[in-house]
Amino acid sequence: MSERIVVDPITRIEGHLRIEAEVKDGVIVDAYSSSTMVRGIEEIVKGRDPRDVWAFVQRTCGVCTTVHALTSVRAVEDALDIVIPPNAELVRNIMEGALYMHDHVVHFYHLHALDWVDVVNCLKADPAETSRVAQSISKWPKSSPGYFSDVQKRIKKFVDSGQLGIFANGYWGHPQMKLPAEINLLAVAHYLEALEWQKEIVKVHTIFGGKNPHPNYLVGGMACAINIESQGGLNAERLAYVGQLLKQGRDFVNQVYIPDLLAIAGFYRDWGAIGKGFGNYMTYGDFPTNGYNDPSSFKIPGGIILNNDLSNIIPVDHRSTDEIQELVNNSWYDNYAEGKDAGRHPWDGETNINYSGPKPPYDHLNVDEKYSFIKTPRWKGKPMEVGPLARVLIGYASGIPEFKNVVDYALAKLEVPVDALFSTLGRTAARGLETIVIADWTVEFFDTLMNNIKNGDYRMANTEKFDPSTWPAEAKGVGYMEAPRGALAHWIVIKDGKTANYQQVVPSTWNASPRDPQGQRSAYESTLIGTPVADIEQPLEIIRTIHSFDPCIACAVH
Amino acid sequence: MQTRNFKRAYVWQLPVRLFHWMNALAITVLIITGFIIADPPVIMDHHEANDAYWFGIVRFTHFVAAYAFLIMILMRFYWAFVGNKYARWAAYWPFSNKAIKNIMHVMKVDVLLLNDKNKELRDISVGHNTVAALAYIAFFVLFLVMIFTGFGLYASMSASWFPQLFTWVVPMLGGDFTARMVHHFAMWPIILIAIIHIYLVFYHEWLEGRGEVSSMFSGYKFVRTERVISSDKEEKE
Amino acid sequence: MSETKEKRQETYYESIIRQGYSRRDFMKFATFMAAYMGLETSAVGQIAKALETTPRLPVIWEHFQECTCCSESFIRSDHPIVADILLDKISLDYTLTLMAASGKQAEAAKHATIEKGGYILCVEGSVPLGDDGNYCVIAGRTSLEILKESAAGAAAIIAWGSCASNGCVQAAAPNPTQATPIHKIIKDKPIIRVPGCPPIGEVMAGVIMHYVAFGKLPELDRLGRPKAFYGKRVHDSCYRRPYYDAGLFAETFDDAHAKEGYCLYKVGCRGPMTYNSCGTIKWNNGVSYPIQSGHGCIGCSEENFWDNGPFYERLPNMTGFGIESNADDIGKIAATVVGAGIAAHAIGANIMKRKELNKRINRGIENEENIKA
Ligand code: HEM
Ligand code: HEM
Ligand code: NFV
Ligand code: SF4
Ligand code: SF4
Ligand code: F3S
Ligand SMILES: [Mg+2]
Repeated sequence: MSERIVVDPITRIEGHLRIEAEVKDGVIVDAYSSSTMVRGIEEIVKGRDPRDVWAFVQRTCGVCTTVHALTSVRAVEDALDIVIPPNAELVRNIMEGALYMHDHVVHFYHLHALDWVDVVNCLKADPAETSRVAQSISKWPKSSPGYFSDVQKRIKKFVDSGQLGIFANGYWGHPQMKLPAEINLLAVAHYLEALEWQKEIVKVHTIFGGKNPHPNYLVGGMACAINIESQGGLNAERLAYVGQLLKQGRDFVNQVYIPDLLAIAGFYRDWGAIGKGFGNYMTYGDFPTNGYNDPSSFKIPGGIILNNDLSNIIPVDHRSTDEIQELVNNSWYDNYAEGKDAGRHPWDGETNINYSGPKPPYDHLNVDEKYSFIKTPRWKGKPMEVGPLARVLIGYASGIPEFKNVVDYALAKLEVPVDALFSTLGRTAARGLETIVIADWTVEFFDTLMNNIKNGDYRMANTEKFDPSTWPAEAKGVGYMEAPRGALAHWIVIKDGKTANYQQVVPSTWNASPRDPQGQRSAYESTLIGTPVADIEQPLEIIRTIHSFDPCIACAVH
Repeated sequence: MQTRNFKRAYVWQLPVRLFHWMNALAITVLIITGFIIADPPVIMDHHEANDAYWFGIVRFTHFVAAYAFLIMILMRFYWAFVGNKYARWAAYWPFSNKAIKNIMHVMKVDVLLLNDKNKELRDISVGHNTVAALAYIAFFVLFLVMIFTGFGLYASMSASWFPQLFTWVVPMLGGDFTARMVHHFAMWPIILIAIIHIYLVFYHEWLEGRGEVSSMFSGYKFVRTERVISSDKEEKE
Repeated sequence: MSETKEKRQETYYESIIRQGYSRRDFMKFATFMAAYMGLETSAVGQIAKALETTPRLPVIWEHFQECTCCSESFIRSDHPIVADILLDKISLDYTLTLMAASGKQAEAAKHATIEKGGYILCVEGSVPLGDDGNYCVIAGRTSLEILKESAAGAAAIIAWGSCASNGCVQAAAPNPTQATPIHKIIKDKPIIRVPGCPPIGEVMAGVIMHYVAFGKLPELDRLGRPKAFYGKRVHDSCYRRPYYDAGLFAETFDDAHAKEGYCLYKVGCRGPMTYNSCGTIKWNNGVSYPIQSGHGCIGCSEENFWDNGPFYERLPNMTGFGIESNADDIGKIAATVVGAGIAAHAIGANIMKRKELNKRINRGIENEENIKA
């Protein structure tokens, strides 16, 4: 007999995610992923000025803040044939790179770490030993015994107060918690340090976009004009600030995040065999170095891997109506006119919310019928896993040296085979590894920007087609990118200067969606199968695998 | 041909005339500066901000005119209680039988331009006719809208006590943005009614020859002797 | 273990007693707090209990229809930094974003705090009222039901961001889920609205610190916003203001004027209509704010700002007038119609009133002739 367990709310994610899993003999045999919150942003942007849409869709998510804004301005620029100046491209790349550093570090320490790190157990650690370990894995300066001892005292005082706050009811002492106390202390210290650090790297967004979360973008370029001789523009002081933030960001990634990641992963090698998926991975590619219209210039390549076959990378075409399609067969929307099991390319997509699930309060979803607000995207009818692992695999398989270097380094360090990447552990590791690569690129983009300015290129926006009167009566565009959680694209149809249709197909939509008419599971559901569950009252293993995707459910549904 | 006899009748007392012209002036200034505030023209290039202040001056002019406008309106309200019968509230009341008849009549002869077969003496308005009164009511309502939204907006830019009396207006409308748009939008009917008003004043002058235009300067209109009945004396002073 | 007891932080109760006040004084204080926070007398016991037993202010942070950027903004606070807030100032007993526990354990942690009472309820996100609340369900219960439950025992409510205080993007037309801000649902509690999409991190921390440090809610304006942070328009403290007064405006993005840093009024800046601290506190520890980085304010802390677009035009589009048009377009059309009407009327009058006019003219000529020289 199997037993249905429900984890709702899944915490330390963005959004409202519910997992229902069938557990038999301590192992998950089936799983359902559902989001139970919807806002209808795609409907709301209809009829709006396409130049404004970035701001609306940016509010899809404040965690991966910027990615929807960037995708949206790309979609509009694509539709209207607007080519942005190189400096704007660089600034967008730098902002995206800063987002990656922020998002991945915060995910690792604040969203994912407590699945592996026992906070309370760190009280048992010997700070001197923690210090020794810390110094052996990194040259990060804050690593004296006194430093760790102070952190430990602080946590002790906190725990003794009896008010555990965000740590209340955590899975402390769970049999799956395997780190020695010293590593727990190291991780807790860096949890706090990362919390303080993360507010710095986002200042890159503040300088270029005026604020973070939700910095400003602009159709045609960026609004932050360059004027090295004025208070009003990007001048030497502003740029130096960015340069410093990026370098500090990269140091934290290389000296804190990555050493911690590898140290912790070393104790959880068994998770290199848990959380395998169906083996299809997809990226759209990103970080243009010669404009959005030249995908061959992208730093991250686009492509698809099927059935874990790294020897064959298949290209993706966003405009082909029979490649990417979205289905609503299991989602709480009106079926398309063509029927329940039909898919639609996003240019023809529609979003008519129609809840048909159980009436709250309920204990279980009715998974035989529609059971989520997330739609089900498919590539040529196949489910795809998107995200850092897909990027690292496709970068690795495409022979991009930066990806090869980090992957080989990590595999050697952890002494695991390439296969171990197709797993919960692999997903979490890939996120760190790509951060190393992207942090370096971001510094490169910055150097190029400085060089351009030095050479007298001050352009930051192309406003020739900013005025709607210059637009064709009808236009279609697609904007795509690699968001931290994976391949993201928006499709826009513009009619008479207005947004006639808008569809977002988001990384977490790919990964967290319900199953398709063929019964094929998407990534969350499929990777949970086979996961052992030690104590069904404490679903730690479920959240480990789910967290390895870094769920963002406001993104997934929108 | 028989010639008519006309008598001078004092209709617009000095405060009404004063109000009228000060008001027309203030509104003209408010409209012009309002348009500039709404969409400032580019009149300078590469200038340092510290040696120019023209936009500030435009706004200042708007606010000065706004105060003048307000004072005139208040004065006119007061005069509606103490002024002569052409200035009083009663002259604006459109719901009496007489007023409704007058409206029908004005619609017929001045709007549809039909001609009366038998002219009735009582159809000749001495002060303003009732359709005009309706337009003035619309004017006054719009003026109040401008004053309330204007001072409501002004409250956040001013430290003095008076505009602070209007701080409730903006939140009631749902924010400065809406308040500003109401303020901006309400300007248009004022412009339109003013255009029609000026045209009709000239139209009556042209058609009836009773000194309509000059009446707003001199205070006097010319009324047919037969229309001036018993209260001859009262009418004159 | 006894040593740790001693090191335990003092509770409000303990510190009041230590300062020489009696238990009666303490109860008076609790009563005062309750009255101040607009609570019924039945809540006094709860507050007293909370003050007696809890050294750190318990906080429940609900997440409804949101993008979580309010939480993100909160953790960006520089003073105090959020680690200090979480470890020393408050006890954040429930938040989906950061709490260790999931599922049943998470809900249990919240219910433990609700039972103790005396907590502050923070709400991020709006509550959808459409379709009986089915558009936002957590742990099988609607956000509406959850909000009512958590609000009932709360000492005060903080509505974070434009979502909780105004409905924000999901409430923009046509508001498919009937997204509703908190104050339209909970009427019997003091609610602090902290609008912004998101609010500035230091402002969020400031609101909490006000309560922790001074033991009372900050002074609020007519709209329930803390005066300390929403008392002035962005425009009033904008460093580009001298350009505005001088009439120096950027005409479009990246033009010579934009590069000079001229005022962004003509590219749609909503600073003159927006109440927020962006010009003074600025963002991310004072690094910049939208205008300083070249983009106009979009009015993100104002009600309905989403429906006041397009963001790059000074005047909004008016719906219901067929084609897209703003107040001035409509006004100009109306003025043309009026002009044409007047012309038609003038011509008509010349035709229709010919007889009458002729009569008058003739009479005038006759009179003129009769005038003795
Ligand atoms: C017939 C009367 C008035 C007219 C036609 C008028 C017209 C206008 C117009 C068109 C604007 C620009 C609105 C925009 O697009 O943003 C404006 C702004 C303004 N008006 Fe008036 N207005 C009138 C009376 C008043 C009064 C009585 C006040 C009271 C103080 C006032 C105060 C303001 C203020 C404060 C602004 C905003 C100025 C700024 O932010 O710099 N107005 N007005
Ligand atoms: C911005 C321009 C103008 C405005 C806003 C305006 C407004 C008004 C108002 C409010 C009244 C009603 C006065 C009352 O309380 O009794 C009025 C009456 C009058 N106005 Fe004007 N006026 C304008 C221009 C003119 C001009 C240019 C003339 C003449 C050449 C004029 C002639 C008159 C006359 C004769 C009356 C009395 C009409 C009647 O009651 O039959 N107005 N005007
Ligand atoms: N899934 C997702 Fe996002 C990301 N990364 C967006 O596209 O998180 Ni909020
Ligand atoms: S107010 Fe804006 S920023 Fe905050 S959760 Fe809502 S959409 Fe996000
Ligand atoms: S940029 Fe905006 S806020 Fe600043 S002065 Fe100009 S209009 Fe005002
Ligand atoms: S858009 Fe928002 S962040 Fe400030 S400058 Fe305007 S209120
Ligand atoms: Mg979608």
